[in-house]
Amino acid sequence: MKQSNSTVAWSKFAVLFVCLLLFVFPFLLLLVNSFKENKAITSSPLSLPESFGMTNYSDAFGKMDYISAFTNSIMITVLSVLLISLLAAMTAHYFVRHQTKFNQYTFFLMVAAMIIPFQAIMIPLVKIYGSIGFLDSKWALIYMYIGFGSPLAVFIYHGFVKSIPAELEEAALIDGCTRTQTFFRIVFPVLTPTTVTIAILNVLWIWNDFLLPSLVLIAPDERTLPLSTFYFFGTYTVDYGPLMAGLMLTILPVLIVYLFAQKYIIQGVMQGSIK
Amino acid sequence: MITEKGLWNRLRLRLLFTGPTLFAFLAVMIVPFLYGIYLTFTNWDGISTTSSFVGVQNYFSVFQDTVFWKSFLLTLKYVFITVVLINAVAFLLAYVLTSGLKGQSLFRAGFFIPNLVGGIVLGFVWQFIFSNVFVFLGKELSIPLFSGSWLADPDKAFWAMIIVTVWQYAGYMMVIYVAGLMNVPKDILEAASIDGANLTTKLRKMVLPLMVPSFIVCIFLSLQRGFMVYDLNISLTKGGPFKSTEMVSMHVYEKAFLSRDYGVGQAEAFVLFLLVAIITIAQVYFSKKLEVEA
Amino acid sequence: MKFWKWMQALALSLIVVMLAAACGNSGASGETGGGSAVTITLLNSKGEIQSQLEEAAKAFKGDNPDITLEIIPVPAGQSPFEKASALYASGNPATITMLDTGDVEKFKDRVLDLSGEKWMADAVDRSTALTTFDGKNYAFPLAIEGYGFIYNKAVVDQAVGGTFDPAAINTTAALEELFKKIEASGKAPLIVSPMDWSLGAHYLPLAYAGQSADPAAVAQFVKDLKAGKIELTSNSVYNGLLDTFDLMAKYNIDKASPLSGTYERGPEVLGKGEVGIWFQGNWAWPQISGFDTASGQYGFLPVPVSNNADDFGNTQISSAVSKRLVLDKEKNTAEQQTAAKKFLEWMVYSDKGQDFLVNKANIIPAFKNITLEAQDPLAKSITDYIAEGKTQDSMSTLPADHWAKIGASMQKYLAGEADRSVLTKEIQEYWKSVK
Repeated sequence: MKQSNSTVAWSKFAVLFVCLLLFVFPFLLLLVNSFKENKAITSSPLSLPESFGMTNYSDAFGKMDYISAFTNSIMITVLSVLLISLLAAMTAHYFVRHQTKFNQYTFFLMVAAMIIPFQAIMIPLVKIYGSIGFLDSKWALIYMYIGFGSPLAVFIYHGFVKSIPAELEEAALIDGCTRTQTFFRIVFPVLTPTTVTIAILNVLWIWNDFLLPSLVLIAPDERTLPLSTFYFFGTYTVDYGPLMAGLMLTILPVLIVYLFAQKYIIQGVMQGSIK
Repeated sequence: MITEKGLWNRLRLRLLFTGPTLFAFLAVMIVPFLYGIYLTFTNWDGISTTSSFVGVQNYFSVFQDTVFWKSFLLTLKYVFITVVLINAVAFLLAYVLTSGLKGQSLFRAGFFIPNLVGGIVLGFVWQFIFSNVFVFLGKELSIPLFSGSWLADPDKAFWAMIIVTVWQYAGYMMVIYVAGLMNVPKDILEAASIDGANLTTKLRKMVLPLMVPSFIVCIFLSLQRGFMVYDLNISLTKGGPFKSTEMVSMHVYEKAFLSRDYGVGQAEAFVLFLLVAIITIAQVYFSKKLEVEA
Repeated sequence: MKFWKWMQALALSLIVVMLAAACGNSGASGETGGGSAVTITLLNSKGEIQSQLEEAAKAFKGDNPDITLEIIPVPAGQSPFEKASALYASGNPATITMLDTGDVEKFKDRVLDLSGEKWMADAVDRSTALTTFDGKNYAFPLAIEGYGFIYNKAVVDQAVGGTFDPAAINTTAALEELFKKIEASGKAPLIVSPMDWSLGAHYLPLAYAGQSADPAAVAQFVKDLKAGKIELTSNSVYNGLLDTFDLMAKYNIDKASPLSGTYERGPEVLGKGEVGIWFQGNWAWPQISGFDTASGQYGFLPVPVSNNADDFGNTQISSAVSKRLVLDKEKNTAEQQTAAKKFLEWMVYSDKGQDFLVNKANIIPAFKNITLEAQDPLAKSITDYIAEGKTQDSMSTLPADHWAKIGASMQKYLAGEADRSVLTKEIQEYWKSVK
């Protein structure tokens, strides 16, 4: 019995491992080719690099103005995600606990707005904000991310707030907490696993987003990492080597942060289950 | 329902909790969207300093644009296949990866990796894989399936889009399912095991009903992403070969910015919004009903 | 109460953020106006010369320390028109915008009249004709580009067994003869790159441009096409061009899967000498040179459209000014406009500017006073054809979606998914739908 159990576990493990390899294959390819010359990349894409020279990387690093772009990306991502998570959790909580017709319709409007194609609001958006001079700054971009990001965040929180028993909050209110205190002492901590999920989803979206920053940020010193990466794309051709190195440089920070946050999710969920 | 005393207190609470979110949401999404609808009644071309009111003429053009409807049908097909595949793969992964396997958190991290990168970059990497790496492999190992680039054949290019989409989003949805599965109380399952329930019964009777909220979220998200697919379309197949994989977003975009028919493009975007709204709202409505029953 | 205070602090900081955003913005826009130092921007839609332009900006600053030129690239997946109109919509247009010839007219109300500039006198004949409206020229002609069959001299020399004479290829039959000889020498005759822009914007438009040596007659032909008055089925130039295309398809190295190829494959197989010929333009040199095995010996052949050597098009290479610079007059200050004009002059008249155009960016300039000889063999070949007067004006004011729509139809034809009658029908239908 024990024997067969471990065999099953091992075969499961092996199948998963093969799947995982398939999943990360494109990234391995990117990594391998980021060390090669343009010529070697097109004619033998699978071969290992002859040497691990850093020319592509230093080329990409310099051309991307990496430090400045990295700082911009960090600032925009962190501020946007903090504000989205907090504000959306509050709104979702309010909507769940005050189920008036008005709130239900507003919630419905937000959910419906998620399917508005970005292309449909792109030009009107820059036209409106351009005419009042509220463009070309990080702050404008963060403000827009709150607007674009809140529907999904409110939607996800909405589902999970409902699973928190209202009695929990009522108890706190009877103990003399205000509404606001109740939210921050009871509800928001309980929502931590959801917050982590939302934060991660938003970090990935905002960190990689290209179209919106390309419209809002105009000055070169405001550029984010994806904007800088796209420097390498030519109209007719692509300088593969440095481009792949540039892509690796863009991915690496998220990868590190993600691995870290993955641990945090599990901890958060475990704490949540103890409560 | 708990109610707060005093009108001012209620208003203050409302403003505090919903004010900032709603303000940003209305000002960034709804106002430009309405302004965009206004633009569909004009013949503005996206750049000129003047434009005139043309009434519903642009909407007539939308209904006459057979290519728009063709690409909409193609998108429907694409959405259907991807929603099924993404959620099947994601749930399976999540289920296996919450069964207490060794190194499961590492696996989760791994399967999520495709989401670390934006659509344009992914499209670029996969284009490189389909047209260089697979063809290279096909020649070296003489695999007939890979002898020509998949992106050169209308059917295979369509499936290339699907493969990359599933690859990209399965990990994302998996995370949501994992979060949901972790909320399924372990003691219930253990009690069920002691009572002799087998795996399928456990799944059907205990896990799935509790997972309905996760399913609603995931299906909704994959529907929405499927209909809005643009980045991947433009960077992987560019709608080719010969426009056979041009999805509806890309068509709208090209109408507005390539054919310089901004009014018609914007009108098509609005029609698309209405169609997708109907489909997704129906989905949410019916699954919420299911949730209540379950 | 602690939490309530905390919330207030948060709300307050949100307001501060908003204010900072508004102030930060007005501060930034105030900066550009004052002082003697000027910053101007150039929206670059020719991605392959991005780094060369950045170097040119540095060199220009060396000569004009007060002027900083910033180069903004048009990202992949966006058209120059779209990026430029988004910038205008946002109220932040670049000082200098690089447009395709056909787009200039759309912007004419927003950009400066350049008719009075010094370089107008030195511009090559007819190079500003397509950007002149009501007698005013609105654009600076940046680059002449030409396209046709690029040959690898090492391969064709070996095929003909001696020195290859490009002038001998002046009929479709002569071209096929050459293909056969290359094939006999053990190489593939040519590669047809199946990108929609190559087939739709470069190859098929030869059928329009080849109608007559007189630009006015070509313009009339296009007008008649739009009106549905042209029957392409019986048009000899159109059919001749497609006969040549059938040949290309027959001898294509990628015949088994004609739509598989990417742009990158073209320069590789031509440079390595695996094929003798590639249909492309002079912009391809940087990529070919990466694979070069013919010690830099390449040249152009015209695309023949008949078996009569004297027919127009059989000895002419297609070329035209492809990129134009326009200067914004709405949001940029007078100082910025002057600085931008200075940059245009600097490119035409200073040594460093000419060096940038010809040697660094491999551009064929549209100015008679620039006598620097092109370094790369493709630009040189085009320049030679121009010097001999053997050119045909490329179609540069086609409708903006022509390349995508017609390119798709041509791909279908190339893949054998549509025959000539279907292709012809699709082209004629397309033209009738153009507003």
